[in-house]
Amino acid sequence: MNWRQVFLVLKREYLTRVKSKGFIAATLLVPIGFIAIYGIGILVVVWESDVTYQIGIKDDTSQIVSNLHEQSPEQYLDYSDLSIDSLRTLVQTEEITGYVHIKEENITENVPLELIYGGSGGMTLLASIRSDMRDVFRQEQLRRADVSQEVQDIFATRITMDTRRLSPEGEETEDDTAFLSGVGFVMGFVIFGAIFGYGGYIMRGVIEEKTNRIIEVITSSVKPIELLTGKMAGVGALAITQIGIWLVTLVGLAMLAAPILSSFMGAQGGELAAAESMAEHTDIPLITSIPTIETSLIIYFVVFFLLGYLLYSSLFAAVGSAADSETDTQQLMLPIMAPIFIAYFILFQSSRNPESTISVVGSIIPFFAPIVMISRIAISDVPFWQIGLSIFLMVLTFMGTMWLSAKIYKVGILSYGSSAGFKDLFKWIRQ
Amino acid sequence: MSDSTTIQVKNLSKTFGKTKAVQNVSFDVQKGRIFGLLGPNGAGKTTTIRMINYIIPVEQGAITINNLPVSPKTQKLIGYMPEERGLYKKMKVGEQLIYLAQLKGLSIGEAKEKIRYWLGRFNALDWNQKVVGELSKGMSQKIQFIATIVHDPDIYIFDEPFSGLDPINSELLKEIIIELRENGKTILFSTHRMEQVEQMCDDICLFNNGKVVLTGNLREIKKNFGKNTVIIEFQGDGSFLDDLENVRINNRSTNFAEIRILDSQSPQDILKKAISHAEIHKFQLVEPSLNEIFISTVGEDNIKVQEEA
Repeated sequence: MNWRQVFLVLKREYLTRVKSKGFIAATLLVPIGFIAIYGIGILVVVWESDVTYQIGIKDDTSQIVSNLHEQSPEQYLDYSDLSIDSLRTLVQTEEITGYVHIKEENITENVPLELIYGGSGGMTLLASIRSDMRDVFRQEQLRRADVSQEVQDIFATRITMDTRRLSPEGEETEDDTAFLSGVGFVMGFVIFGAIFGYGGYIMRGVIEEKTNRIIEVITSSVKPIELLTGKMAGVGALAITQIGIWLVTLVGLAMLAAPILSSFMGAQGGELAAAESMAEHTDIPLITSIPTIETSLIIYFVVFFLLGYLLYSSLFAAVGSAADSETDTQQLMLPIMAPIFIAYFILFQSSRNPESTISVVGSIIPFFAPIVMISRIAISDVPFWQIGLSIFLMVLTFMGTMWLSAKIYKVGILSYGSSAGFKDLFKWIRQ
Repeated sequence: MSDSTTIQVKNLSKTFGKTKAVQNVSFDVQKGRIFGLLGPNGAGKTTTIRMINYIIPVEQGAITINNLPVSPKTQKLIGYMPEERGLYKKMKVGEQLIYLAQLKGLSIGEAKEKIRYWLGRFNALDWNQKVVGELSKGMSQKIQFIATIVHDPDIYIFDEPFSGLDPINSELLKEIIIELRENGKTILFSTHRMEQVEQMCDDICLFNNGKVVLTGNLREIKKNFGKNTVIIEFQGDGSFLDDLENVRINNRSTNFAEIRILDSQSPQDILKKAISHAEIHKFQLVEPSLNEIFISTVGEDNIKVQEEA
């Protein structure tokens, strides 16, 4: 391998891309898009609880309905005077969502209630009505049992639990598990997106060279393996540039936001639980209550990011070389997409339960490791042998995929006319 | 092997799976001459050319360039314009030419100097900052020529160079090729269009089905075929041509025909038949055109021609 040639290819790949409008736009838009997706996601969850319904209540006991009406007057209407038949008509004409007929035995003998409704509204509607019914029935039963206000209050209490971590050295620190599992998930997700994004860059680059018909001009000066290596290194450098810009921006923003946040939290905490905890740990300034990301985590992120990129990018190049146009890549993409998506699904598990068997196994299998392992490292103390083994296996697999891809690439870039299938690829590998 | 042999191909074979693309091919390209590789599509020309350019590896047989086996080093001695050719559409003309020249081993300084010279010669200096995608087809073809010759190699290989070229650029390329030869460069090109070979080539190699069927000096080959071809121009009823026996008629039109005599019949008999049917403007005995040699060699007369050759 002639490194001067590799470097020339690298330089071209990097410079033409980094100067392109597409790169600048992506660098600006991806974080905005990311925030927008999360923002919309949160909004959707918040809006979900906002269901409107009107339930007619025919209450034979005449005690429940007043409580319900008190709780939410718009949703529960007192229709105790109406007959069942007219209630049914109201439901059928969709003037009310549904009705419930409450009888004495529902209170005294725990006979299940029945909601008769049109069938629309979904789980949220049912859950909401169910919980309202539970509340008022318990209230009524407590009233009839004639228990004191104190006992009634006991039923209303909700105990909270704070968590703190104790290290083997005996140091007790704030527990940021919730925050860190968010970080772990985001890091895994970024690697997931990056493999697709930068892998796609490489694949399209290879196809472009084929459709432009420049590939044979280039291969009369450069060996295919040099071209492939230069391409992967060039796009890799591009990836580091882009992620670097995002990281620096993020750290900068965090540094700006930290004082604002801490003063905000300080003002709130002062009135509530802070008095107690301040008395216990007067030496801990409030600012440390903002979770920090360790440097080692960022280093691991870069390592797993690069290994994941290398592992997959050569495969994307191989697919690109076998295809004649981008639309022809779908069939060949499947074996690459499948492991990436499996890793993505394991990520949901590993960012919540990093020590479960599937998380541990997934973080060691090379094709899943870049996405799964980083989330485990973010959340828990992963034994070093697992991290080491995972990295070792990824390096080994990378050499394998690179060897395989180089064989396919070498033949693929010079075959025009029709896109290759798996049968052709096997033939090329054996050549 | 003489000192003047630039490219030597010896017993070269190449198979792709079950297809024998090239079988036991041998030929020599002499320094300072134009060598034509002829043959129908799929005859193995491009595969041979790719192996000479070290794009695909030599498996059986040998190729040497200036007595060196092909390698990345010999690649730099060659300016290659493939049949499937193109440029990066989003790159600027200048950047792209510098990149390609650097890949051929030039420094940035040398590359810039040579590029300025060639852009100047093609009246294209103001294209330097243009993106290739904005150029017309003809303009980008000129850039392609420059990309091929910019590193000033001693050997030039063009695969089907005239396919897809507009007439102006075809002429320009011919001029470039002739000029390169005058400067002592060696040129090898492949084509399936005969008239270009007749006009330009010193030596030829005829491919068919992965095998060499004929190779040597173009003049000698033609001489060996003998003057058994009749060119006839006439006015009137041309149907007498259909009654001729043991001939092959090439290039037939309403008042013109090129007739190859396949047996020992006298051209005078043809003339007699012609006169009785039409008014004859021209009747000439000539050496067969390369087109005729091509057809009779790879076509129906394959075996016979090989004996003659």
